[in-house]
Amino acid sequence: MNIKRFFKRSESYVLLIIILFSAFITIINPAFLTLENLFDLLRSSSGTAILAIGVFLVLISGGVDVSCTTIAIVGQYVSVNLMIRAGIDSIWFIFGLSAFIGIVLGAINAVFVSLFKLPTLIVTLGTSSLYHGAMLEFFGTRAVNVGDLPQSVKSFGTFNVLTLPRADGTTYGLSIFFVILVALLIITYFVLKFTMVGRGIYAIGGNLEAAKRAGFNTRKTHFFIYTYAGFLAGIMGVIHLSLIRYSNPNYIVGTELGVIAAVVLGGARISGGTGTLTGTMLGVILITLLEKNLIMIGLSTYWQQFFIGVVLILGVSITYLQAKFQDGGRTIIVKDEE
Amino acid sequence: MEDVFLEARNISKTFVGVKALDDVDLTIGKGEIHCLIGENGSGKSTLIKIIGGIHKADSGTIAIDGNVLSGKDAIESIRAGVQIIYQDLSLFPNLTVAENISINQMLETNQQFVNWKKVRETAKRALSEIGEDIDIDERVENLSVAKKQIIAISRALTQNAKLIIMDEATSAITSEEVKHLFTIILKLKERGIATLFVSHKLSEVFEIAENITILRDGKLLGVYPSHEVNEERLAYIMTGLNLKSEPYVYEATKFSETPLLEVKNLTKKGQYNDVSFHIKPGEIVGVIGLIGSGRTEVVESIFGIDQPDSGSIYVRGEEVAIRNPRDAMRHGIAFLPEDRLTQGLFDVQSIGNNIVITVIKNFLKRSKLLDLPKKKNCEVEWVQKLAIKTPTPKNPANSLSGGNQQRVVIAKWLATDPKVFILDGPTIGIDIGSKHTIHEIIRDLARQGMGILIISDEAQEILDNCNRGIVMSNGRIIREFSDSRTIGVDELLDIVARRVESGAGA
Repeated sequence: MNIKRFFKRSESYVLLIIILFSAFITIINPAFLTLENLFDLLRSSSGTAILAIGVFLVLISGGVDVSCTTIAIVGQYVSVNLMIRAGIDSIWFIFGLSAFIGIVLGAINAVFVSLFKLPTLIVTLGTSSLYHGAMLEFFGTRAVNVGDLPQSVKSFGTFNVLTLPRADGTTYGLSIFFVILVALLIITYFVLKFTMVGRGIYAIGGNLEAAKRAGFNTRKTHFFIYTYAGFLAGIMGVIHLSLIRYSNPNYIVGTELGVIAAVVLGGARISGGTGTLTGTMLGVILITLLEKNLIMIGLSTYWQQFFIGVVLILGVSITYLQAKFQDGGRTIIVKDEE
Repeated sequence: MEDVFLEARNISKTFVGVKALDDVDLTIGKGEIHCLIGENGSGKSTLIKIIGGIHKADSGTIAIDGNVLSGKDAIESIRAGVQIIYQDLSLFPNLTVAENISINQMLETNQQFVNWKKVRETAKRALSEIGEDIDIDERVENLSVAKKQIIAISRALTQNAKLIIMDEATSAITSEEVKHLFTIILKLKERGIATLFVSHKLSEVFEIAENITILRDGKLLGVYPSHEVNEERLAYIMTGLNLKSEPYVYEATKFSETPLLEVKNLTKKGQYNDVSFHIKPGEIVGVIGLIGSGRTEVVESIFGIDQPDSGSIYVRGEEVAIRNPRDAMRHGIAFLPEDRLTQGLFDVQSIGNNIVITVIKNFLKRSKLLDLPKKKNCEVEWVQKLAIKTPTPKNPANSLSGGNQQRVVIAKWLATDPKVFILDGPTIGIDIGSKHTIHEIIRDLARQGMGILIISDEAQEILDNCNRGIVMSNGRIIREFSDSRTIGVDELLDIVARRVESGAGA
């Protein structure tokens, strides 16, 4: 890629900010730029990155999904409870069950969005409250402590695909979470770039009416998007569980704005149709870096929340300004009229 | 015609009790350039949708190359070689030119995977077929409307189009671009591809069409070879009205000599320079000039939307300061903007609300609540006065046709009881029939003593309806004529255009 094209892409600026920010932190704390810290960052942020893939797909299609975090916690909490009750200690089982729950809940979202043609933000706001409420009612509110956690989940959380020794003889390594993330990224990239279903997601985000006329099955595409996002959320739920070794039914919920901000930061337009997976991942990296290092540069963690708000509002403003710009700046002139 | 491509016979279609098409025929030869014209609501859109397989006809048959279509879905028509390019072009702004051109073909051949090399080749081939060179990696949102149109035509070619139907293809592009579009259509003709132009504009029809089919109220009025009819005759057939109107005559003795509105040496840097003119009661004054001549800017200043840098405005002989539209309205000036949809109409609001919006304060009771019966009477009165076609003023404004919407905007301003009425492009995008009605309304107002200023780029409109006129170019008044009857359309157009050339050279 030549330099000119590099600077035309919004992802490039995110990458530059990441590099500058990392350099800055490294000056303050040289321990930042170590392989061990990098592996640790990858382990703790893989879950968010997987959620972001789903949010990205929905955003591309012209929608907004705020229910992904709820689906993740419902997948996690319901399947770990069922697992303990049934006495099945298998990582495959919990992944399978949680992903299945995610797909079902995603499909319910798709029914409202596609069949009833309701606005996605309202639908997912509604369903997230509905899913969460139903879970708390039927599966309880008691947290699952590390002592009750099945062994397979615990060992999965500490499983490394690459192990390196530290100076003192102990080891650290690259978590399997990262491998799962990379695999999901490759699959998603392939679907988006080389299948008609994937092009359909871009098409309906660009011009829904034209997509219908061209012959896309938009209903099928919507079902794919929301079930796939649900599937990813289910996977994330289990990764989150094996990362923190604790299941609280009120965890994860409430972080959705951060995930959406990461995707918007990565260059995906909130009005749909535009964005890349690379950008999304860069957005996740930047948000994660901020989250983990604000204290190091002397700012309280509340700035994180503040920053997410700024990113979202800027993201919407840019979309609005672009639309106004294309209109030739011709907005309502008679502003004094009552 | 020996080589018929499409033959529609006895097509009828009814939508919820309204007969949209009644026993209509349409025949298009191979490679023929055909034009389908009619006013809004005449059934043009319904007919093309039936040909495209989007609607099914209640009765009648459509045969392509002699094979009768079942008419049950759009794919059948597409496979037979019919491609419709809608006014919105149905493109994906976020995707590249290459993908936009190839995507329909990929869908039609039921591909599951994308071969990007093939996508690019398909796009290149389609563009080269009509001799166009557009960067296929550019996103469509960055292209002009005319270029987008070329993309849509190329996309049609990838699906082996034998007939390309273009719905209002020339309404959003410049006259230069229209010419270019026509050369593309002639290239298509050389390749044996027929074009059906669907339009309600008459002037462009003659340039290119071989035959013209005219619809009115869902009925076929006739098919004419384009060299056998002229514009006036077509207008007559289309509307059923004899639209040849007598020029407006100003009766100077009937009203006072004091101008209702007079501007002196109005100047705004970079927009207009030293503009002076006046309007007397009963006069209709025309302002003609190209876009960018400053005509719209001048009247926007008079109405207080923008302040002039220097110069003065007089209302009935007294100098006034107009700082905003409220000031202008208080001095009895009304202004109908060029773009009624974004500037003049609240289109989801009811027709009635749109009419009374400027005078809503008059309906406040002492309790500061609205006097609803009084408001309703006013709404009904204006709907009747201007013959707005609606069963009730309660219907939303966007349920009306363009011509009727314009009448609503006119009614809204008339409700303020203005002394001077400025109309910027009063008949843009309006059917010929409705256009005539609006002209009649304007003349009536003048006859009752109102002063009218019409801004238009149609020389004919100015000469027919104004007793005198002003030509503007590059922000200045370059010519005034005191009697419209002494000047011809061609002469006026020459003044408008010649000055532009010399101005550009200076």
